[in-house]
Amino acid sequence: MSPNDKKRQADSQIIARWVHEGDRVLDLGCGRGILLEYLQQKKSIYGVGVDIDLGKILSCVKRGVPAYQGDIGAILATFPDDSFDHVILSRTVEQLEDADSILAEGLRVGRHVTVGFVNKGFWINRLNALFHGNRTVNEVYPKPWYESMPSNPFSVAEFEAFCDARKIVIENRAYLSGDWRNECRKLPNLLAGYAIYDLSSID
Amino acid sequence: MNDSEQAPIIPEEGEVGFVEYQDFVSKETFKFVSGGNLPELTLRYETYGHLNAAKDNAILICHALSGDHHCAGVHGIEERKQGWWNFMVGPGKPIDTTRYFVICSNVLGGCQGSTGPGSINPETGKAYQLDFPKLTVQDMVKAQSLLVDHFGIDRLHAVMGGSMGGMQTVQWAIDFPDRVGRYIALACGARHTAQAIAFNDTGRQAIISDPAWQQGSYDPEHGPDQGLAVARMMAHITYLSDVGMESKFGRKRRNADESKEHFDVEFEVESYLRYQGASFVSRFDANSYLYLTKALDRFDLHSPESLDDTLSAVTAPGLVVGFTSDWLYPPQGNREIVESLLRLGKHATYAELAMDFGHDSFLVRAPRLYELIHRFLIR
Repeated sequence: MSPNDKKRQADSQIIARWVHEGDRVLDLGCGRGILLEYLQQKKSIYGVGVDIDLGKILSCVKRGVPAYQGDIGAILATFPDDSFDHVILSRTVEQLEDADSILAEGLRVGRHVTVGFVNKGFWINRLNALFHGNRTVNEVYPKPWYESMPSNPFSVAEFEAFCDARKIVIENRAYLSGDWRNECRKLPNLLAGYAIYDLSSID
Repeated sequence: MNDSEQAPIIPEEGEVGFVEYQDFVSKETFKFVSGGNLPELTLRYETYGHLNAAKDNAILICHALSGDHHCAGVHGIEERKQGWWNFMVGPGKPIDTTRYFVICSNVLGGCQGSTGPGSINPETGKAYQLDFPKLTVQDMVKAQSLLVDHFGIDRLHAVMGGSMGGMQTVQWAIDFPDRVGRYIALACGARHTAQAIAFNDTGRQAIISDPAWQQGSYDPEHGPDQGLAVARMMAHITYLSDVGMESKFGRKRRNADESKEHFDVEFEVESYLRYQGASFVSRFDANSYLYLTKALDRFDLHSPESLDDTLSAVTAPGLVVGFTSDWLYPPQGNREIVESLLRLGKHATYAELAMDFGHDSFLVRAPRLYELIHRFLIR
C-alpha cells in the first residue's frame, strides 16, 4: 500500500472501532469499496456500497463488495427506517448538493451515520487560502479545480454547529492531525486535518 | 480523487470454433404452472468447454425472445454468422470456455428445436399449435433444470442472460436457490411496463389478424408471414434507440433517385427493417412468438406476493445491469430488482452502462460490459 493509500484510508480503523461484528453497513460514495472490504474482513459486516461512477462499481465487483450504481438520495428513499446499523459518508458530504436532507435520510435509514471529512478550518488550509488564495491540492486531492468534482468543504466548527441546530447527537468523534494518522486532542477546528463523527438522531 | 486502478489483464482471446447442437429428450410428463402438461419434452442445446470432474464449473446462458441455443461458434464453414453472444463466450473471453462449461438451450415454447407450439404432439400425431399449454417464464426455467439434471450438475457456477434471458435468470435464482452459484441479469426487469405490453400486443395483433394465421392452425409452410414480419419489424424498433438509429441510418436513402413506386423502399432504415422482418419469418414460428411474448407480458415478480416477498427466496449473489438507452426495459426496472434485493439484505450489485444501442446494448461488445462480467464470474 502506498503512503497515499494509507493516508486515504486513515478513517478505516476509526470507523471499524465504531462498527460491531456482523453489522449492516451502507457506504454512500463508496468509491472502490476499500472501506467495505476492510470492514468485511475485520468485522464480518454485511456491506453495500453506493456510487455514481461505473468505474468504481467495477472495482467493487472485483473486491466482492455488493454495490449499487446510482444516486444517493434515490437509493436511500427505497430503504425502510433503520435498515442499516451504519450509514457511512466518508469524504462524500462535501460533494452532496443537498447535504442536509441526505444526512436526515441517512439518520432515518441507519441507526448511526458516520461522517468523515477534511477540515476546512485546519491551519494549513487557512494559510494556503491566505497566502495563495488557492484551492487545496494534496496527495488525496491531487487534481486541479478544473478536473475535480464540485466540492463544498466545511470546517469542524461548522459541522458541529449544524449537528447542534438539527438536534443530531454526536455519539463519538475523532480528530486526526495533519498527517491523518495521529489523533489530534486540542483545538480541533484549527489543528485537525481530518474529522470523523458517529451520529445518531434523538429517539 | 486519484482513483485510477489498473485495467485487468484479459488473456488472448480464442474462438470456440465449430459447434454442434444436441437434443435432450425427457420422456416424463412435463407439468406447466398453468396446470397443462406435455407427454414428453425436447430441448435443443449447445455446450462449449468441458464439465470438470466436480461438475461445479457450469454456466447456463438463457437467451432472449428471438434468440436460440446457438450462442457461440459456427455450425459449419459455410455459416458466416457466429452465435449471438460469440464475443462473450470463448477461450479467454469473459465467459471463458477454458475455465467454464457453458450450456445454452433453446427455450421451452420456442421453435429452434425445443418443444413448442409447432412441435408434433406424440399423442395426436399433429402439431400442438394452440393446444400448447399456457406458458410462463417459470416453465421455461423448470424445463432447463431438467437439462441441468441430465448433466448430473447439482449447482451451476452461474446462470445468466439478457432481456427474456435476464428474466429467466432471476427466476432461476428464485426457484432454485440451492442450484445457482451466482447470477447475472442484463437489460431485464421485474415485470413488463404498460408500454412493453402494448408493443407486444400490437405485434400479436399483426399475426392474429393475418388471414393465414387461421386461428393458429396454419400449415407451417403457409403461415402468417406478413403478420409475423410486421410484428418483428415493430419489435425490432423497440430493441434499438432513437440515437442509435439516427447514427446508423439517419435519413440515408437506399437509392439516390426517388423510388418509382410511391411506397417502395426509399430510406435505408426501411430496407433494414423489412430485411429483419423477412429473415425472421424464415426462422421463427408465429405461434411460438405469440406464446413467448405472452409469457413475458405475464411475468410479474410483484405478483401474487410483493416484489420483496418474491425475491426473499434468492440466496446467490447477483449482478443486474441496466442500459441507459434501453426504453423497452428501462434502467429503472433493472434497478428495482436490486433495490428489493438490498432491502432484503442480499448480495446484489447494480451497474448501469451508458450505451447508445438501446435494449440490444447487451448484445454489443463493450469493454466495460466485458470487464463487469469477467470480474463477477471469476470472484
